[in-house]
Amino acid sequence: MRVEVQGIDKHFRKVHAVRELSFTVEPGRVTGFLGPNGSGKSTSMRLMLGLDKGKGQTLFDGKQLTDHKSVTRVVGAHLDAKFFHPKRTAYAHLRMLASESRISKARVNEVLQLVGLESVAKKRPGGFSLGMGQRLGLAGAILADPQVLILDEPANGLDPQSIQWMRDFLRFYASLGRTVLVSSHLLSEMQLLADDVVVIARGSLIASESMSAFLARSTGSSVKVRTNNVRGLAEALQSEGLSLSVTHGEELRIPNVTTDIVGEIAFRYSVPLLELTAETASLESVFLELTESGQEYRTGVSTPHLGGAL
Amino acid sequence: MISVLIYEWRRLWSVRSTWIMSILYLGMAALLGAVPLYFDTGAKQSWQGLYSSSGNLLCVIMLSVIAAQTFGHEYRYGLIRLTFSEFPKRERVMIAKTIMLGVYVTLMTFLGWAVLGAIGASKPSRISTDVVGFSLSGNNIPHLWQIPIFGFAYCIIAMSVTVLTRNLALGVILPLLTATLVETLISGFSTLAKGRLDWLVHILPFNNGYAWLSGSTDMHLSGLVFASWAVGFYFLATLRLHVRDA
Repeated sequence: MRVEVQGIDKHFRKVHAVRELSFTVEPGRVTGFLGPNGSGKSTSMRLMLGLDKGKGQTLFDGKQLTDHKSVTRVVGAHLDAKFFHPKRTAYAHLRMLASESRISKARVNEVLQLVGLESVAKKRPGGFSLGMGQRLGLAGAILADPQVLILDEPANGLDPQSIQWMRDFLRFYASLGRTVLVSSHLLSEMQLLADDVVVIARGSLIASESMSAFLARSTGSSVKVRTNNVRGLAEALQSEGLSLSVTHGEELRIPNVTTDIVGEIAFRYSVPLLELTAETASLESVFLELTESGQEYRTGVSTPHLGGAL
Repeated sequence: MISVLIYEWRRLWSVRSTWIMSILYLGMAALLGAVPLYFDTGAKQSWQGLYSSSGNLLCVIMLSVIAAQTFGHEYRYGLIRLTFSEFPKRERVMIAKTIMLGVYVTLMTFLGWAVLGAIGASKPSRISTDVVGFSLSGNNIPHLWQIPIFGFAYCIIAMSVTVLTRNLALGVILPLLTATLVETLISGFSTLAKGRLDWLVHILPFNNGYAWLSGSTDMHLSGLVFASWAVGFYFLATLRLHVRDA
């Protein structure tokens, strides 16, 4: 099911939290929703679900959510790991959520088993860890087997095994032709998980494209070379018109060039190479490059100066 | 609509506080009924007077806690977002909660009467036979049908205050304080002001509510004023719920 976000816009008094945001989330793919703190990701998700009142609309398969017969079969949302009554058991919580689609007890048990909470199903979630809360929230979201999943920071508080489980689960879910929109601050994790990215900063859209296209935006791709003749290679590269950005012991870093070109130059100038590696930009580096000016909340002291501050 | 009613029913009975408040309500009704039967040596108690114990403010407070929890828990724990994610048509949620509150108040009133009936049966010598059973004639004691209606209207105000303030405690405390303290003070000031504040006393919600319940001479007008307050609060709460971010 295709999700079309059309011009959603939201003010909180004087703060323009989301600005005419439009993007599309495609079925069969995991879409990462990225942005710095306070950029409007959670607000956007709430606007998409009709929880917050604002301008614009979100269409699920061409229709607004309220026009669908069964909402929980269309979209499952997990917006916070603590959205439960601390004294209502996990099982009772899911049974309550199962009302809309008349979901059976068997399905509730199945979902509890799927997220690994069957042993605590009859326990009150007030004592659950953040990770267990995330699992319960995810269980609620997938209960009715919805066509679209909207998850806000679902990996927060999860241990590495659980993160891997969630990644595998979401990729499997998308492989069934479902639509998955997931926000996260864990950019390395998102790079492994997402097929597409939607990036916002200060409530405005920065990018909405495939992960590969987004990474290709980086100006930071380079080639790393290690040699026992650093001077010889540096001179050879410079004589071919290439600049060297960083030198570190036996290591050179040449920006905006391919390994083929560097290898060929080294061969021509008879410089032995010990290592030749293409360094593609990480999601983190591209993200930071593009959202640097759009960061709403930033620290006042840069890292090198922290020592003095401490 | 059925699904949202099922949702509400499960929400209501899947937390311990509902059971605790229900037991407290029945216990309070039993206590208020038993005291005059077992410890008062004066005039005999009528069946109707005995049953009307369930309409005492001390009992209605217990019901108002459940009414405040109807939305109070949702706001406190963020569940309102789950609820509105499942049921984006918010007016349906409001209607379902109102219906379920009505069902709950009616159920508890009948259970209260059953408990009070058992207490009366345990002390038949103290029960007057002048007025028997579920008589509908009230003499300074409420008609029995008025008790659940009064309880329901009080609960509607408590629920509406909770929606407006998004605070469970205020939903319980504000109506209670108004009924017991604020309105008493205003009535007192009115006496001191030699009637110049009578108009204010005549429009106080709970004064009128109890005047209606006790079958005063102006009971119909009092009932209308009390109902207007309940409907007014309910209207404001529904409006606010509709336009506000979840």
